[in-house]
Amino acid sequence: MKQDVILSVGIDIGTSTTQVVFSQLTIQDMSSGFSVPRFEIVDKQIVYRSGIHTTPLLSPTRIDMDAVRRLVDGEYASAGVDKHSIHTGAVVITGETARKENANEVVHRLSDLAGDFVVAAAGPELEAVIAGRGAGADKFSKEHSTTVANYDVGGGTSNLALFDRGRLVTATCLDIGGRLVRVEAGRVAYVAPKIAELCQSEGIALKVGDRADVAVLKRVCQAMTRLLEMSLGLAPKSAFYPRIRTEQDKDVVLPAIPARISFSGGVADHIYSDACDSDPFRWGDIGVLLGQAIRESAAINAIAKFAPVETIRATVVGAGTHIAEISGSTIEYDAALLPLKNLPILKLNPADEASPTAMRRAIGEKLEWYALDGEVQPVAIAFRGPRSPSFKQVQELASAIVGGAASLVGRGLPLVTVSENDIAKVLGQAIRGAMPGQRGFVCIDAVGVEAGDYVDIGEPAAGGRVLPVVVKTLLFR
Amino acid sequence: MYQENEVKDMVRAALSELLAAQGAAAVSPSRPGQAAGRGSATAVEEGFVPDVTAVSTKDEFHVPDPANREGYLAMKRSTVGRIGVWRAGPRYNTWSMLHFRADHATAQDAVFTDVPDEFVASQGFVAGQSLCTSKDEFLTRPDLGRQLDEETKAKFARELPKGAKVTIMVADGLSSAAMVNIPDIVPAIKQGLKGYGIDVGPIPYVKYGRVGSMDEVGQITGSDVVCLLIGERPGLATGESMSAYLAYQPNPDRPESWRTVVSNIYAGGTAPAEAGAHVATIIKKILDERVSGVDLSL
Repeated sequence: MKQDVILSVGIDIGTSTTQVVFSQLTIQDMSSGFSVPRFEIVDKQIVYRSGIHTTPLLSPTRIDMDAVRRLVDGEYASAGVDKHSIHTGAVVITGETARKENANEVVHRLSDLAGDFVVAAAGPELEAVIAGRGAGADKFSKEHSTTVANYDVGGGTSNLALFDRGRLVTATCLDIGGRLVRVEAGRVAYVAPKIAELCQSEGIALKVGDRADVAVLKRVCQAMTRLLEMSLGLAPKSAFYPRIRTEQDKDVVLPAIPARISFSGGVADHIYSDACDSDPFRWGDIGVLLGQAIRESAAINAIAKFAPVETIRATVVGAGTHIAEISGSTIEYDAALLPLKNLPILKLNPADEASPTAMRRAIGEKLEWYALDGEVQPVAIAFRGPRSPSFKQVQELASAIVGGAASLVGRGLPLVTVSENDIAKVLGQAIRGAMPGQRGFVCIDAVGVEAGDYVDIGEPAAGGRVLPVVVKTLLFR
Repeated sequence: MYQENEVKDMVRAALSELLAAQGAAAVSPSRPGQAAGRGSATAVEEGFVPDVTAVSTKDEFHVPDPANREGYLAMKRSTVGRIGVWRAGPRYNTWSMLHFRADHATAQDAVFTDVPDEFVASQGFVAGQSLCTSKDEFLTRPDLGRQLDEETKAKFARELPKGAKVTIMVADGLSSAAMVNIPDIVPAIKQGLKGYGIDVGPIPYVKYGRVGSMDEVGQITGSDVVCLLIGERPGLATGESMSAYLAYQPNPDRPESWRTVVSNIYAGGTAPAEAGAHVATIIKKILDERVSGVDLSL
């Protein structure tokens, strides 16, 4: 089979809004037909966009799981999608919502409800990357051979991702968003703690119950905008800046001021358009004013703009269409083991890969890190692997892996390897020969993962040639 | 990736320094084409000229003042095409010309060098020959390269098993340099087939052999699948590229479209060990479906 279409779902539960998209990913063999196959995702079509729903909350600290579930079920029904036809996709929980007490539970329960092979993902950096891809910043930077920064300014957080010629360079996240100050009936109804701190350091008097004064709130938004400028390297970072970073201990410095900038997220529409300026509190928050302040920033306007393909939907589109990858096209696996979900990555470092002996020892030792009550748990063993290895090297590699993973194999758990270089097929065949009995294994390549990641490997696509893969993080900070 | 680029830059810087240190400023990558030693026709200098092929064409970049150097280099890294070589008037500059001729010489060597008999013996091949008796005849008479000589036919009939499921064979074809892939691809194919419960017997080798020689081997052995590993006509990118041709019950009456091919097998293309594993899978598929070439849907 030279072409295959798989259905992917994206669900984003954000600070202000919850959305669903369905997309079709087309997988096609891009090789000449006279060489080994090379399948790639060649087309991504969004086939259904949900409405933009307000994220249902039970209290300021709890998500209303039942309401979210009803909302998602309703969108599946109106899209006419059966959850069993979903091949891949992601549920992401973003912004302030990721910090709710029951965020972990919601995202996991939802990923089970959404389809057999839908992953849960979270984490401020991942959010930035997903939104940047949804906005098309990576594609633009690749096609124009340039650097593009996408700032996804949402209700609770602003996520910055910098792409250079299609590759992610860095990502960061600030606790700045349009919904961090809320306005009801002409009065300030809520001020997020960090924004209260910001006001104090800026000498702006603002507290709950005050009359919602546009001039005062505009000053708050200008202070927020200056922090965004600092993160982009457009102004020196103030003493307060580290406080506003979502991950306080992690300072990200851009290597250079980006050549282009785009904005996505709910606030983006108010950056690109002044249509709402006359009605600043139409959303009951400071989103419109924040958009206006960013629009008026001279420092940001000095960077050439790039019009994103998505604004408020960037994150959900990114989750639905840009999280799924496919493995290399020459791989070896036992189909009966698939799909595999939530496998933690056991990552070998270059020193571990230096020799078969080192590799065998490293796998054995690191497997113990993942043991629960002395019992080894399922993992995926990830490494770079040699480029164009000799047959002998492959045999050594296979026996190092099988030997190192003896405790895993002994428990009857599948042996899963994820390599970056194109060696999975010959490695898999060597492992088949090196493993005692009829133990199962999955060897895939052309996938890059890091320690701390999790991987989901889906059911075969394109006539069994490739496996859909999602690399994700399940960390809730 | 950033780190990798940094390493590349470092290597590039080190190479230019090295070339400069060898008194090679006249042909250094950054300032090619400045003629040296003009007017001293009889003076012979000690030392060596730098090896033009030491820098890959992917990393060699001569465009002065490019608008987007990094973008151009990224594009060059994705192709072996000779882009960004610059020019002297309407001509190549000296460095590009020398590199082109060096690569062309590699290709010529790959075609005109014979595979050493010791290599054939060391691999335990059953050695034979086509009807060609010299390299020149091989190059000018493709028809003879497709047929085995009488002695070889008799030897193959005698020493190769009859009616095997799979016969792997090797021919020099248009690149003897491609034989470098054999020690990695052959065991990989065998290992893959073993996983399917298929054993492979002795491997026939055809000197001065063309692709069509697999048809006569198929006829003699009656094997269900013949897999021919043969040196590809070299280009300027590499002289070491090999192809695997596969056919179900091949014989000289089958059309060319009956063959399945996996090409571009070498360290810089599809790695021979990985390609061998892939070839084993295709062989299994051909055995299962009893067709090959365009009739086989891969």
